[in-house]
Amino acid sequence: MNLFRAELLKLRTTSLWWIFAIILVPLWGVALAYNWLAVEVSFSSPEANMENVGFGSLETVVSGLYTCGQFGGVLLVVLLSAILITSEFFHLTATSTFLTTPRRELVVIAKMATAVVIALTVWLFTTLLNLAAAPLVLSTVDKPSYLGETFVWQAIGLNALAFVLWALLGVGAGVLIRSQIGATITLSVLYVVGTQILTIVFTVLSQTVWEPLMGLRVLVPTLASELLITGPMLPDDPPRWVGGLILLGYAAVTAVLGTLITRRRDVS
Amino acid sequence: MSRPDYAEISVEHLTKQYAKVRAVDDLSFTVRSGRVTGFLGPNGAGKTTALRMILGLVTPTAGTATIGGVRYVDLTDPIRHVGAVLEASSAHRGRSARNHLRVICRAAGLPDQRADEVLHMVGLNTVGTRKFKGYSLGMKQRLGIAAAMLGDPRVLILDEPTNGLDPEGIRWMRDLLKALAAEGRTVLVSSHLLGEMQLLADDVVIIAAGRLIRQGPVDEVLGATAGAARVRVRAPEADRLATALRDAHLEVAVSPDGSLQVTGAEPARVGHLAFAAGIELHELTGESADLERAFLELTAGKAGAR
Ligand SMILES: Nc1ncnc2c1ncn2[C@@H]1O[C@H](COP(=O)(O)OP(=O)(O)OP(=O)(O)O)[C@@H](O)[C@H]1O
Ligand SMILES: [Mg+2]
Repeated sequence: MNLFRAELLKLRTTSLWWIFAIILVPLWGVALAYNWLAVEVSFSSPEANMENVGFGSLETVVSGLYTCGQFGGVLLVVLLSAILITSEFFHLTATSTFLTTPRRELVVIAKMATAVVIALTVWLFTTLLNLAAAPLVLSTVDKPSYLGETFVWQAIGLNALAFVLWALLGVGAGVLIRSQIGATITLSVLYVVGTQILTIVFTVLSQTVWEPLMGLRVLVPTLASELLITGPMLPDDPPRWVGGLILLGYAAVTAVLGTLITRRRDVS
Repeated sequence: MSRPDYAEISVEHLTKQYAKVRAVDDLSFTVRSGRVTGFLGPNGAGKTTALRMILGLVTPTAGTATIGGVRYVDLTDPIRHVGAVLEASSAHRGRSARNHLRVICRAAGLPDQRADEVLHMVGLNTVGTRKFKGYSLGMKQRLGIAAAMLGDPRVLILDEPTNGLDPEGIRWMRDLLKALAAEGRTVLVSSHLLGEMQLLADDVVIIAAGRLIRQGPVDEVLGATAGAARVRVRAPEADRLATALRDAHLEVAVSPDGSLQVTGAEPARVGHLAFAAGIELHELTGESADLERAFLELTAGKAGAR
């Protein structure tokens, strides 16, 4: 508990957190605009023959609206979580930290707890904004808020889960890639561009090599979290919980591996 | 068996093998409480590596290092027992010194006010809220000492703490470390500044190329080497004086400037021998034992930077 309080103080006493907070707001704004567009397109078509599942369904569109800011928010959470670790080496504070707490696994655990708190804070912040903004957006196309529907609350809950899992993954990645610049660039590229590129890779592979390979694309962390939050996109896709499980797997593997490495590594 | 010394540092057969170098090689020594122990060695001798192994930051390839019989990593609340100032110990550039110390207090379960107390102790109380990146080298060293003193430890381990300090700062550090040792604490301090060490240390541990060269009280180490007393004499009849001194079984060397270097005797004895032989002296100077000379002699040819 002492360690957790120390980590929170570390976070509070540098300017990083509010820089990230300032970036978060415009990212959320962009996400809201994008989802607003999706609402306009989906609901304004006169036939409005919306299917129950898949892209463009009522459920996906409304869920998307209530989980605005997830893409950017998760990116920031992942980076901040990784930096919790890498900054210790970047600023040479690891010496001081591990002198105070020679049981290094406790430090990693405290950092994970801090990352989870960051994740839930960002989630809460974006969710509150969404709960205020989404009904307004829906009213522009004469639709109700859908706040009585379980699928909305399910999406919001799963969104929280995704934030938490990504935060853990970020800490693990920070331990594995100790370099501050290396970790942030790797994570950003993988997260932002990687999804598209890997989707293309899997599409090509499934068309040229073996059809079922397309199903394996959910092994990509970003696609797994997409599956977790928005549900299956293609008829053959596995159910949501599989996406959650895959993300949890990544988080667990990086965390355990990272802790073991941190315990053994020389600090000099 | 005497009462166990809870503040004694004991290093036994400590070894660290890196890919290309054996930084520390079967090193054993003990550091007693109530004294300042100087840890000396040429560049690359393995001082920093040894200290980091004692502090559990670097894992030894073989051997053990204990403090009061316990490995650092097994100490409960280590910073209440051991304070450390290391070369690379640093703070986040964007964090204030005070907050840096408070973070350590939180993690160790110490009250926040300890941060202000130690800042006061090292004379940084007026600049404690300034960010670390604005600190001078000397201020950073003082902050390092402050962090080490947070837990009021009975053992202090310092790696070249006088690096970057001005003469006044060096004097401050010397007085502080002596005072801490006088309170019964153990003080182990590495340094290159041998003149400084001679003023500061009670004991020395000298290593080179990762191996122990000599350990013991400063006087003993000096007495056992040619760092022992020397006398410089100048006389118009230098040749006759040299003969008279050699007849008395003293070692005499003639310097280029014509003066004589006499080893193994006090100035009084040299003066007496000259008087007895009726030789006129123009200069008679005793050169005190010198740690620098002893150090260079002991570590000669034992490897410089590796
Ligand atoms: N992490 C490392 N990896 C590989 N070699 C290392 C590492 N750390 C130190 N060494 C090597 O180990 C040897 C001892 O280094 P160390 O820093 O302990 O010496 P030192 O006595 O502190 O030197 P100095 O007086 O210059 O500070 C050197 O040859 C150094 O190159
Ligand atoms: Mg060193």
